[in-house]
Amino acid sequence: MSGQTAAHETEPTADTATIRLDGLTKQYGDVMANDAVIFAVEPGEIFGYLGPNGAGKTTTIRLLLGLLKPTAGTATVLGADIRDRRALTQAKANVGYLPDTLGFEERLTGREVLEYFARLRGDERRDELLELFRPPLDKPVETYSHGNRRMLGIVQAFMHDPDLVIMDEPTSGLDPLKQDRLHRFLEDERDAGTTIFFSSHVLSEVQRVCDRVGIIRDGELVALETIEELLERGGKDVRVQLARPVDPDQFVTAEMIDVELVDRTARFTYTGEVIELLEHLVQYDVTDVDIGDPQLDEVFKHYYGTDSQETG
Amino acid sequence: MTAILRIESRKRVRGSVILLAVFAVLSALYFSMFPGVQEEMDVLEDAFPGFMFELFGIEELHTIEGFIAAEIYSFFWILLVGIYFAYVSAGLIAGDIQDRSMDLTLSNPVSRESVVLQKLGALWVPLVALNVGVALIVYVSALAIGESFNPVALAMVHLLSVPYLLVCAGIGLVLSVGIDHVRSARAAALGAVIVLWLVEGVSSLDPDYEWIGAAAPTRYYDQTAILVHEEYALFDAGVLLVGFLALIALAVALFVRRDI
Repeated sequence: MSGQTAAHETEPTADTATIRLDGLTKQYGDVMANDAVIFAVEPGEIFGYLGPNGAGKTTTIRLLLGLLKPTAGTATVLGADIRDRRALTQAKANVGYLPDTLGFEERLTGREVLEYFARLRGDERRDELLELFRPPLDKPVETYSHGNRRMLGIVQAFMHDPDLVIMDEPTSGLDPLKQDRLHRFLEDERDAGTTIFFSSHVLSEVQRVCDRVGIIRDGELVALETIEELLERGGKDVRVQLARPVDPDQFVTAEMIDVELVDRTARFTYTGEVIELLEHLVQYDVTDVDIGDPQLDEVFKHYYGTDSQETG
Repeated sequence: MTAILRIESRKRVRGSVILLAVFAVLSALYFSMFPGVQEEMDVLEDAFPGFMFELFGIEELHTIEGFIAAEIYSFFWILLVGIYFAYVSAGLIAGDIQDRSMDLTLSNPVSRESVVLQKLGALWVPLVALNVGVALIVYVSALAIGESFNPVALAMVHLLSVPYLLVCAGIGLVLSVGIDHVRSARAAALGAVIVLWLVEGVSSLDPDYEWIGAAAPTRYYDQTAILVHEEYALFDAGVLLVGFLALIALAVALFVRRDI
């Protein structure tokens, strides 16, 4: 942005962003849990908030919900400034929240928990959601498995048909089948106009469902891009076991980076299409191939050039 | 928006029923004992040094009013029920923050002020259950052993204890908002009620130090004066109510400013 347009941007125009973080900062002693974070989430998108554990994702979410007070900077949620308690409280009628730790009233049954939230903000979509996500409603929550708790949490987060749903590590504790169901459900919700803010430490999950991604590390936003850009940078972690040693000049292609070729084992990150890699590999006497998602830390190290000397 | 009040009220039912049962057992014990020990009370009053009676505010043990004021109200009601209110209140906020249910509660369109007040408001359950229940138990038990209470005095001993119990709740609530760990908050609330009770009792023994006890809520509630002398200290009850409101204002002010 040039200097000329900056003056226009500061004018009070109607903000269309569903969430806008404006230098949001939270400091605990010497630790910057969130360090001047700036980004915006637009209406009707699934925004992935990606970062390793302890990066500051939950801090951002708790700031957005008004549970924490920012040290500096601010943010708006559905147009409400998070420092304006009254406005934020009103805005919450249109916000759903799925926390990472679900603190329900343990002695109540699932049905009673939903009754309680229904009285606080409505439940026009409850029945529809309970067909997709089926926690045992007549049992007390204290007997619930991790997955059932999460399903109850998903139902309460969406049942009042909010415009914005904030989810903190929503798939943790769900089996793969239910993860898929949730991912598909989120895409349908997005297509119906709901904005979804979704934190995760799992790169593949964010790649699968999100439209845009913000990556946070040590409290700082290190990248903000579309999922296509992330996929281009992301690559795959590949390990190839060969029957006999190969000629590196022949074996290594331009799409392979960080190649380690030791004896009959090759390890590298592949930035091209997987099908091309397989076509390339069939030319060799391959005994085993392992293609997986790169560790998030690897992605940071390789693609965002952040050094993490100061913190672990 | 009374969803929180409703759910919190439900949570108070169990404790109220248990406490009521405890008082029913205690009453049965003391009332069945009274006819047998009535004659010996003069001996008891002579046998113990006077300060013991002053400490507990005990007089006229040979009358049913004095006996019940001493045995049930001066100890169990003031201390046990006072501790219950302080202890429960101490868990209201700290407990929810610790188990993270406060996150979900505050994700609703409900202000923090409303959350505190609705949670505190749910104490109407033990307040009504105990005051009505124990008053009835005491009244009926007295009739059962052929004694009788002045029903107005009995009603007043309960009515005027309400501000006292609310102050205990207020102390617990402030600690609940200010202390992060629910166990610490509860321990502090329990300790505060006991220490204030002791300080007031001991300070009242010596006129030179009596002023110290003015800060303790028990100074403003005298069960023996109500039951034995039928003196109703309405001004003192007002002092307690003002103290209660000040504690609530402090708790709300702290809660809306703090991080969860």
